[in-house]
This record gives sequence, structure tokens and C-alpha cells, in this order.
Amino acid sequence: MTALVLLVVFYYPVATVFVDAVFVDGRPTVEPIVSVLSSRFYLVDIFGFTAYQALLSTVASVLLGLPGAWILSRFEFRGRRTLRSLTILPFVMPSIMVAIGFVATFGRNGTLNGVLTAIGLPPVELLFTLEAIVIAHAFYNAPLVARVTTAAWESVDASAIETARSLGASPTRAFRDVVLPQLLPAVAVGATLTFVFTFASFPIVLALGGFQLATVEVFIYSRIQNLAYAEAAALAVVETAISLGLTYWYLRYEGRTRGSGQGARPQPRYSLWPGSWTAKAAGARITIAAYGLVVLAVFVGPIASMVLTSLTGPGGGLTLEHYLFLLERQQTGASYQVRPLPAIANSLRFGVGTLLVAVPMGVVMAVLTTREFRGRAAIDALAMAPFAVSGIVVGLGLLRGLVFGVDVFGTRVQVTGAIAVVAAHAVGAYPFVTRNVAPLLGNLDPRLVESARSLGASRVRALVDIELPLVAAGVVAGAAFAFAISIGEFDSTVVLAEGSTSYTMPVAVERYLGRRLGPATAMGCVLLAVTSLSFVIIERFGGRYGERGGF
Amino acid sequence: MKRRTFLRTVGAGGAAGIAGCLGGGGDGGSTDGPTASGTDETAAGTTTGTAEPSTPELVVSTYGAFVDAPSTSPGPWLKETFESEFDATIEFATPDSEINYYIERALQGAEIDADVYVGLNVDMLIRIDERLDDGLFVPVDDVSGQGDVKEGLNFDPEGRIVPYDTSYVSLVYNEAFDGGGFAAPETFDGLLESEYEGDLLAQNPTGSSTGKSFLLHTIAEKGADGYLDYWEELQANDVRVLADWSTSYTAYENEEAPMVVSYSTDQVYASQSGEDLAKHQIRFLNDQGYAYPEGMSVFEGTDEPELARQFLEFVLRPDVQGEIAQRNVAFPATTTAELPEEFAEYAKAPPEAVTFTYDELRDNVSEWTQAWERQFASK
Repeated sequence: MTALVLLVVFYYPVATVFVDAVFVDGRPTVEPIVSVLSSRFYLVDIFGFTAYQALLSTVASVLLGLPGAWILSRFEFRGRRTLRSLTILPFVMPSIMVAIGFVATFGRNGTLNGVLTAIGLPPVELLFTLEAIVIAHAFYNAPLVARVTTAAWESVDASAIETARSLGASPTRAFRDVVLPQLLPAVAVGATLTFVFTFASFPIVLALGGFQLATVEVFIYSRIQNLAYAEAAALAVVETAISLGLTYWYLRYEGRTRGSGQGARPQPRYSLWPGSWTAKAAGARITIAAYGLVVLAVFVGPIASMVLTSLTGPGGGLTLEHYLFLLERQQTGASYQVRPLPAIANSLRFGVGTLLVAVPMGVVMAVLTTREFRGRAAIDALAMAPFAVSGIVVGLGLLRGLVFGVDVFGTRVQVTGAIAVVAAHAVGAYPFVTRNVAPLLGNLDPRLVESARSLGASRVRALVDIELPLVAAGVVAGAAFAFAISIGEFDSTVVLAEGSTSYTMPVAVERYLGRRLGPATAMGCVLLAVTSLSFVIIERFGGRYGERGGF
Repeated sequence: MKRRTFLRTVGAGGAAGIAGCLGGGGDGGSTDGPTASGTDETAAGTTTGTAEPSTPELVVSTYGAFVDAPSTSPGPWLKETFESEFDATIEFATPDSEINYYIERALQGAEIDADVYVGLNVDMLIRIDERLDDGLFVPVDDVSGQGDVKEGLNFDPEGRIVPYDTSYVSLVYNEAFDGGGFAAPETFDGLLESEYEGDLLAQNPTGSSTGKSFLLHTIAEKGADGYLDYWEELQANDVRVLADWSTSYTAYENEEAPMVVSYSTDQVYASQSGEDLAKHQIRFLNDQGYAYPEGMSVFEGTDEPELARQFLEFVLRPDVQGEIAQRNVAFPATTTAELPEEFAEYAKAPPEAVTFTYDELRDNVSEWTQAWERQFASK
């Protein structure tokens, strides 16, 4: 089933584009790929630079994400769960919103420079530089790193640490020998996903950097726009090969570093306000406060600017007119126009649909790939392909493969509308479920399942009753990601919603973009509000499931 | 008498029209404009259209901002007025990839379900002719009003495309920048002066009509063998080439830089929304503006050729031309358009309009653009 969905909404459509790289005028050729690989410009200036900025972005995302994971998994404070749920928000932000928020926050006259000047520091010129791109990539991906690491940290068994301590290990030693081995795979998965994502980054690069910092995806877009398919496909093939190669390399590492967790009794959390102010406790709190400031600048700043823009009138005063526009468009919009309510309803429907399809797909794939067999990492890497292939290429492939339809025995078979959208979203989302679940599953003691099986449980039963509750944190995190991917997806949605009413919130945001940013940002805020609420609900629900299963 | 009635109506309704117009960001119908899909009944309407003989249906395909800008756009007015005068309904289709969507359909052998396309430019036409042996459109003749189209706006040598409006790409600058007293240079060479370092925001020529027009304008000025050197100096003077019109205009409004490549109709919107016009000054470099006409045509496979022809004639009618120009914030394509006097006050036309012909572009435009891309993106 999983394989069939993958074939119909991913491998076949993508193949219709990739084939252009190896077939020109019906004849097989290696010319397009060779010409890319033998071009110094493409290799050094484009692929080399793309990898370089992706590497910087990955480092920045990990540095920014890890303290977040530490705080979320080791401290207890009011609103911790809500905050954890909301960490996923940047993930659904349409790139135009991020660009607007970043200009308002980090620009010449932005909030950051306002604050710096107020406290007597010199202003910084951040916009239209590599730094701006890297920070924006960290905005998107640090939460990802934080999320997967938090899930792993919360699954660390406290008794293992207690055992180590009782055997004389110092807290540092216990951390290094017990906790760290269980966190590293999660950090590595976060880093790998970040690299693959930022390697294919497109709108952010041109909006916050400029064409002098063009990446591979910029050129793929340009070639497809000009219908130069052979070159576009060749670039996309090389890009995918690099991303998949990296994923493969990571997966082999993941396979080697299986720890041996014993189940989950989470460690006790510290209070954010310590009982006694030892030097160590004070140091930790200062770190947290400093981190809070960074979070304020990088995450809260851009989002707050967007909210402010949606409330600002042409004269600069506060106004609700942009929200009234949404209401008015809802009431009087013509059938050929995009209206807010259907967009919200569709986004939620597709989000839930994606979650329901992607979670089982992802879990099955995780179980499959945590078994030992030859070529496991290769299969696993191929299954991860959906996020390694350029979104622009997937969009074109879906147009050719699904929207236009395929001749099957004389009838044109088309797949569009809601089902196609959900399927496409699920394909993009299930790798997240897999990557959140697989490392935790790998840490489980195989004897648990063996005992269950020897007591007569079926494999499915053992999975549902024994393994899943133990990796609930990963499943819930994966489900939240699946939902988020669906809400934020643009490239495929816009293609598949063609000629139907299946448009979503990000599509509406794009559509409302005009000379005044008000209507688009108002729709963007609606998107954020709706998704925030959804995440809190998903995780409350998921959290209960986790607690019931835990022991 | 009739004319006076019309002008009065415009006086009342025109203000709202102008105020709202710039949906796609006043970019007069380019790929800058955010477009998205979302027409309700396109597919259904087309397939069932023939089964309902009572009211013939015309499927008009266009870019999103033409029908669905956040304020007003020409689409709804056009549909309503046309339907009130003719026994027909208009269905809009707004594919996200615009004309490429239909080129793709033709390449893949899928049926084309639209009758008319509105929003064609010369780049699109070149793509059509390069990729498709048969083309998508048929030559349009005996459309009354076609003779009124201004000299120099016709961009299709084979007469398939009828221009319906035009914009001029120019610089927009902020006199009040950094305390005031800023003035944009008057020539292309002036942009290279050190006092303008980091002062200009432009757009990616691929996927943005302003960016493409500006690049072509530099080629028209500096020649095919000189523009790359010019751009090298421009880049050394820290010009910023951003994603599209919208991103660069946002940055301009946030005062990241005092100059942006945009349209010469910029003040129409600014004046209507009560903005400070000092921040919306127009500069025609070398006293020229690059003309960016938009055209419409009839799909070869249409089953409503007569209705389609009537639609084209309707769009060229003097009153409709005036209305579209105001609602799309662009200049009309015909010499006979009826426009209120205040239109000329804020919509600035360049002393001299510059543009390349279809033939010049067809042979060179990909090469020019790609050479520019490679140079500009070299690290």
C-alpha cells in the first residue's frame, strides 16, 4: 500500500521529469548530466556554494536547537507543553511571511537595530547577506532539531542514569556514557534533515540574500520556467543524488549506533526557578536567560512583526481593516476567487488526512528498516527520497503525471482534488514519522518483542501493545510533523488544487499578496492561529496516549 | 451625452477602482504577481459547457491577480459587464504556472479546455514558438478596434496576439530617504557612482517582468557586448537582485534602499491610499521607460470562436479600455481609450519607450539571460 502510494504520487511523477535528463528527443544520452558535472560554474559556484550555505545553516540550526531541547526536556515550568507544541510553528510559515518578518526585524530600520541603537550599540547590516539566509534557515530548522532531540531526551530511562551514578559515575560521566549515546542519533537526524532541506532552499535565498547568492534550486526554477527541461532535470538529478547520498551515509551511521535503551521512565525535571542558588544552578539559569533573548530575536521577532503588519493601516496606525477584508472576501468573493474559510477547512482536512495516512506509513517503514538485512540503508534512503527531490520538480511531475492524466487503454486517468493532495502531502510527510520513530525503535531491547511473541502475540499486536507505547514520544512528534508538513506544503498543493476548490491557507496567503502586505499577513496570522491551536490539541491528545502506554 | 454619463460613473466608481487596483502589486500582470489556482468551476464548466446550449460559455484563462487581487482587479468587472451585454457566461481559469501550463498540456497531448488567454507577453510567446510546432493560438483578424492599438505595442509578427494594456518599467525612488534630499541618478551610468552604492533593488529576470524588463533595458542601452560589463560594475556598486517585485518592493517600503525597479504608474496607487508622494518619485533613466505590453489571444481549439472574437473586441472598446487601465493600473493599449483626466496626473509615461522586437528577443533572450545569471551568481 505504502509502495503503491509512493509510486503513484511520487516516483512516477518525478520520473516523468528526470527522464528529460537522460532522454533527449527520444534517444538515451548522458549529455545533460555530463554537461552539468563538467561545468566549473555549476560544480563550484552553484553546487559548492549550495552545500556550503547548507552546512552553515545546519550548524546554526543545531546550535540554536539544542539548548531548546535541553530546556524543554529537562525543566518543568508553566506552559512547557504548550511551548513544546508551538516549537513546530516556524515549520508552517510560508516563506513570503518569513521574508516579510525578517525584513521588519533584521532590516536597516528593523526592530533589532532599534534595540541595539537604544542600548548604545552600533546597528548591524544583516539583510541581503549570507548571514540573513543562514538565520532564516535556522528559524525553520532549529525547531526541527529541538523537537527530535527533545523526543529522544524524554525517552532516556532515568534508571539507567541512576545505575551509572550508583556505580560511582559523576553526573558528567553519566551524561556522557548514558544520555549522550541516545541523543546523538536524534541530533544527527535533525542535522541531516536540516542539511537536505536547506540544500534545496529556494524562496528564502532570493528574498533575503539576493541573486549573487543563488543556489541550485534557483537555477532549476529558472530552467523549468524557460522550459529548458534537460538542463533542469540534470541539475535536479545531481541535487537529489547528493541529498540521497548524504541520507544514505546518515542511515548507515544510524544503523551502527543503536543503543540499548530499556524502556522509558523519564528523568525528573528541574524547576526553572531553583530551590537553592548554587553556582551551577545560577549558571544554568543565566544560560537559559541568554538563550531566551536569542529566541526572542530569531523566532518571536519575525512572527510578531508579521502580526503587527497585519494590524497596520496605510497611514501607520492600528487597524482591523485587513481582517475585515478577509471577512468581506468570505462573504462576497466570487466562486473563482480564493476565500478564507474554504482555505482553512481544506488545510485542516488535508492535515488530518495526512496525519492519518502518514503515521501508519511512517511507522511501518520504521519497523521495516530497523530490521537487519542487506541493503537496508539503501532501501531506507530511497524511502526518504520525497524530501530530497526538488519541490519544483515534484510540482512539474505531478502536473504531468497526475493532473494531465495518463492514457491507460485509451482512457485518460487523472488524479486530482482532495485525495491527490492528501496522498502527495502524506508522501512528503511520512519520512518525518519514520525518522522520529526509527531511532527510538532501534534503541528498544529486541527481547521485549521476542517475549511478547513467545507469549503468543502477533507481530502487529507486539508493535501496538509493546513497542509503540515505548516510542510514543517519537510517534507524537512525527504526527505533529506530518500535520505541519501538510499545512505548510505549497508546491504540490497549488498544482493539484488546479481547477478545483482544494486550495489551502498558504495558497490563500500567496493569492492575497499585493502592494499592501496587510491582507496577506492577516491571512498568514489566521494560518498561524489555526495551526497553533491544532498542534496543542494534537499533542495533548498524543500526550495522553503516551502516558497511558508508559509505565 | 452617452460619453458624459460614462465619465460621471467613472468619477464615482473610478476612485475605488484605482485605490484598489494593484493586486498583484501593480505589476500589471507579470509572473511577479502571486498567482494560485482556485477557480471553482473551470474543469466542470468546460466539460459540461457544450451540454448546456442555452447560454454559451467562454473560458478565459489569465493570471491570478487579474481576477483575484486583494483589492479590486479587472476580472470581476469584466465578467459582470460582458455578461450583461452578451448572452454568455465567462468562467475564469488561473493556472499557477500561467501559460506554461498550456504549453505543458500541448506537449503532453492533453486537451486544452480554455477559449481565450489574457495576460500574454513576448517572453511567453517566444516560449510557445520554441517548444510547440503548431503554437497554441491562431492569428486574430477582423477584430474591430485592433487598428486603434498604439504603434509599437504589437509584439507578435504573426498577428496572433492583441495587446490590451501596457506598463513602463522605470525606477521608483524615495526623496525622503535618510533624512531627505535623495535624488535618483538620471542615467544608467549614474547608477555606477559611488554615492549610489547599495541603493538599488532589482529583481530576478526569471519569474519577474520588472527584473526582465530592466535587464533588457540595460542591454538596449549598453549593447549585447557591453551589458555584462555594465552589470559587473553595477554589482560592484552593490545592486541587490531579489526574488521578485513583491519582495523587493517590501524591502523598498521598509527603507532598505532608496531606489527600486518598478512601474511608472507607482503614484496612482500611492496617491489613492494617501501615501507621501515624496517616497514614490519616478525616474526614467536616460529619459526612457521599458515598455511591457500585455496581450490576449484565442486558443486554436476553441469551440466558441465567434464569442471569443466578440470578447476581444469588447476588451478593445474605448470605455472598457479605460476601465481595465484603471483597474489594472496600467496604460491602455489603444489610442481611443476613455480615461478621466486625473489618470495622467499620476500615471507617468516616459518621454521615450524602449523595447526589443520579437525577432531580436527570439534569437537572443535566453542567451542574454543565462549569461547574466552565470556572471551574477558567480561566487
